Amino acid sequence: MGAWVKGGATDAGTAIEAAASLLAAARAPVVAGLSADLAAVRAAFHLAAASGASLDTAGAAGTYAELGALSRTGAMTTTPAEAVGRADLVLVVGQAPWRNPLLERLAAAGPSRGRAAGAARGLVALGGPPGAAADAYAVDPGGLAVSLAHLRAFAKGHLAGDAPYADLARRLYAAQFGVALYDPAEIGEMGVEMLQGLVKEIDETTRFFALAVSGAAGQDRAVVQLSAWTTGQAPRVGFGRGLPEHDPWRFDAARQAAAGESDAALWLSALPSPRPDWLDIVPTVALVGAGSPEAAAETAEIVIAVAVPGESADGVLWNEGRAALTYHAAASAGAGAPSAAEVLGRIRDRLTEQKGA
Amino acid sequence: MSVLTLREAPPERLDFLNITPLSLSKLTEIEAARLPVGTSRRGLTLGDCFSVALDGSDTLVIEGGSERLDRVGAALSEGTIRIAGDVGQRLGEGMAGGTLTVEGSAGPFAGSGAIGGTITIEGDAGDHAGGAVYAARAGLDGATLVIRGRAGDHLGDRMRRGLLVAGAAGRHAGARMIAGTIAALAVGDHPGLGMRRGTLLVGRHGAMSPTFVETGSHDLVFLRLLARTLRGVSAAHADLAAGALRRYSGDLATIGKGELWAAA
Repeated sequence: MGAWVKGGATDAGTAIEAAASLLAAARAPVVAGLSADLAAVRAAFHLAAASGASLDTAGAAGTYAELGALSRTGAMTTTPAEAVGRADLVLVVGQAPWRNPLLERLAAAGPSRGRAAGAARGLVALGGPPGAAADAYAVDPGGLAVSLAHLRAFAKGHLAGDAPYADLARRLYAAQFGVALYDPAEIGEMGVEMLQGLVKEIDETTRFFALAVSGAAGQDRAVVQLSAWTTGQAPRVGFGRGLPEHDPWRFDAARQAAAGESDAALWLSALPSPRPDWLDIVPTVALVGAGSPEAAAETAEIVIAVAVPGESADGVLWNEGRAALTYHAAASAGAGAPSAAEVLGRIRDRLTEQKGA
Repeated sequence: MSVLTLREAPPERLDFLNITPLSLSKLTEIEAARLPVGTSRRGLTLGDCFSVALDGSDTLVIEGGSERLDRVGAALSEGTIRIAGDVGQRLGEGMAGGTLTVEGSAGPFAGSGAIGGTITIEGDAGDHAGGAVYAARAGLDGATLVIRGRAGDHLGDRMRRGLLVAGAAGRHAGARMIAGTIAALAVGDHPGLGMRRGTLLVGRHGAMSPTFVETGSHDLVFLRLLARTLRGVSAAHADLAAGALRRYSGDLATIGKGELWAAA
């Protein structure tokens, strides 16, 4: 098992003690990343509540692009299984969805259920990597959000003519069960809102849905649900005043670090996630997957290697294919590394003991 | 005139929601110094960061600001607050009346959801000035917001009512406007993206969204009324409204009842 404090290898107990001291002494600690199984994320929320910390996730940019549009205009959405089973037209918006395994399943066969059963499946790209789809429509110079606005204006009949988007709008309306795939982080809140507006207008004559697929693996979907049932809020909450306050701008961990507001952090990345730059400027406890490249002394001031859920430990994870939280048994009998939930629980216990002393 | 004087840079973000002339008028200086303003576990009070001098009047001066001073003048309903310095996010959020003046610059979401009164920022404003915060119904909602310097991106995002005047603004000014009026001497790319109704008056502008169509030049009574209204706020903006203008209609991706007037 691996644990490091200030570059020196040590045992987990010493590292946990040091982590509790770091968080206990901090004025505005941050708990970030939250790339782990559900039990560990729950433990991270409890630790944040005990230490007055704020929370942020690895995929917050996309999560808030999605939630911001959802809170304002709602969403017409479906699941990957429904898309594979029923869609006779798939509109792929931007580059990121092409990196998702769902694309291969959609390209492999046509719809087998519902009104469009037996029909061929059309795969249409708006933007996207060169050569990804036979049917590709170019993006406006203004970007994807402006392109979606342009397409929506044709779909509404507010713009007319022989433009490529006029043709694309006709094809969307001709679908019996259409699905638009997009990555909220790529198209932004403005783009999501435009796309959802377009989908809802098409739905007045046929069936059409939007389905968010992220280009990167992440647990944000699970964190959003856990945060909702734990705090009643979306993930960026702070416990500085005892109650969970939600503020997506104030509790952006990168902003807090750059502004010098956070003076300690805990970065939870039992599953692989990109290492944030601010680990270099804020004293941080990093909980990283055992055997990952980050499980090394130089990752952060305090580093503790933990079991990887779904690989060396059991855990409940977001299942993107089923759009649900599901149990993942360990692939191999985990030897050595403790679970992230256990480490977080022990840090919290030490923190409350130190506070009581 | 009551005066709060900042002693040193605040060690954490402070929340000034409850610091208004009205709330201070009923308190002694010792009671006021005990008001909680901190946002961490340390429980900072007003007296920890500011020296407090009260006279029960409806004018409050904050000497020395900080970009960590959040929600200054939020929920202000009457009286005057003047800040000799900078402020943080959500300046005058939800404000219902009174006068709020910042001599320095403001952080993001200035004037968000403000339904009445006048907010003036002598310096620059951050992103989403007059814009809606997460999950809020609307941005600026009836108040007057004047930014003498430069505003960031998404100026007046989802604004619903009122007048917003800025020296310059970044991209997506007037995005998703529900209604209201924005005037700016220069804006960045794609002004008015997703706007439903409302009026945007701009001098120079970046790339226009293809969902705005030019509808020619018009001599409308409305423009003269707008110029007259703006004259009391800023001569440069009034001159812009009185000069030669081209009209665009949009955003055609939505109901498209908005208009954008650009200097010809």
